[in-house]
Amino acid sequence: MKEILNIKNTKERIDRIEDILASVASGDMDARINSEIEDDFSGIEAAIDLLINDLTDELRQRENMQKELENKLSKIQDQQKTILQQQEDLLELSSPVSKVWDNILILPVIGTLDSQRTQVMMENLLQKIVETGCTISILDITGVPTVDTQVANHLLKTVTAARLLGAECIISGISPAIAQTIVHLGIDLSAIRTKATLQDAMIFAMKQNKRADEVRALGNLALPNEKTD
Amino acid sequence: MLEFTYKAHCDLLGKFKIDTEYDIVTVRQTIRQYAKDMGMGIVDQTRITTAVSELFRNMYNYAGGGEVLIERGEVENHHALIVTCTDQGPGIEDIELAMTDGYTSGQGMGYGLPGAKRLVDRFEIQSKLKEGTTVRMMKWK
Repeated sequence: MKEILNIKNTKERIDRIEDILASVASGDMDARINSEIEDDFSGIEAAIDLLINDLTDELRQRENMQKELENKLSKIQDQQKTILQQQEDLLELSSPVSKVWDNILILPVIGTLDSQRTQVMMENLLQKIVETGCTISILDITGVPTVDTQVANHLLKTVTAARLLGAECIISGISPAIAQTIVHLGIDLSAIRTKATLQDAMIFAMKQNKRADEVRALGNLALPNEKTD
Repeated sequence: MLEFTYKAHCDLLGKFKIDTEYDIVTVRQTIRQYAKDMGMGIVDQTRITTAVSELFRNMYNYAGGGEVLIERGEVENHHALIVTCTDQGPGIEDIELAMTDGYTSGQGMGYGLPGAKRLVDRFEIQSKLKEGTTVRMMKWK
């Protein structure tokens, strides 16, 4: 026996399904078939509506996730900007040159010496040498964990530039490990006066000061003597 | 590209890229930490850190950056920290000349490559013009 399907208005309803699917495909997620007729075909219509519902949910979820990701991305970008800004700030802050005694400048170097930072450091030091007229400057590299050829090269250049301005540079704070490393690298730092600790450098600088004073005093003595002779 | 002189299995510790001067600092800090974790003393830590620093700078200055592979393995009955640097730079024309003290093709002092070689226990370098350079260094514990 053949079963007879009970379907009304078949043509119109199939057309309607096509219309609805077309509008969903073009982005209208509110379109539903919502058929009011109850017969053998309404199950399929209801199923299509359910599928559209599921699809809508999925799409919304995806949109939300995308928004969340975008938010996170912009947050990270902001943080990156802050980090870059802070790096720049640090560059300025990290090269303080101070006069600690008559005729003596100290430049404590902490962290890593890259080319940009060395440039700032050198400028600061030379500027200060000119401003204060100090003739001895101590570069303390206790806080520099790694001295490679580039850093050594920068140090040599800084010392040479300071010497051109009439100031002697003393480098202090070379750790035993770094000393061995420099020797293995083959770098010749003998042109630079170096001291193990900041204290040694300070003592040396003050002795230099004292000697300069004595020479000056001798000069003062010598002058009247010459006149009386 | 590079013929391995060691066949023993080694563990990959990390893989990094050197694109900026900042990367040089962070990756060499990482390597110092690995060296420390392996039980190397302060002198050996400083040596390997300085050696890799030289290579990173070369990669950054001459090849615009590159890749770093850090491994740990057993080589010739030694615990070894193995660092491999690969770049796709212009390559080195004359390796023997580049390994000579005081020779530089750029602005440096010319002690980077030969100095790095003296700082580690094994140093291998291979280069092909217009293709790039690979350097592998090993430091015994």
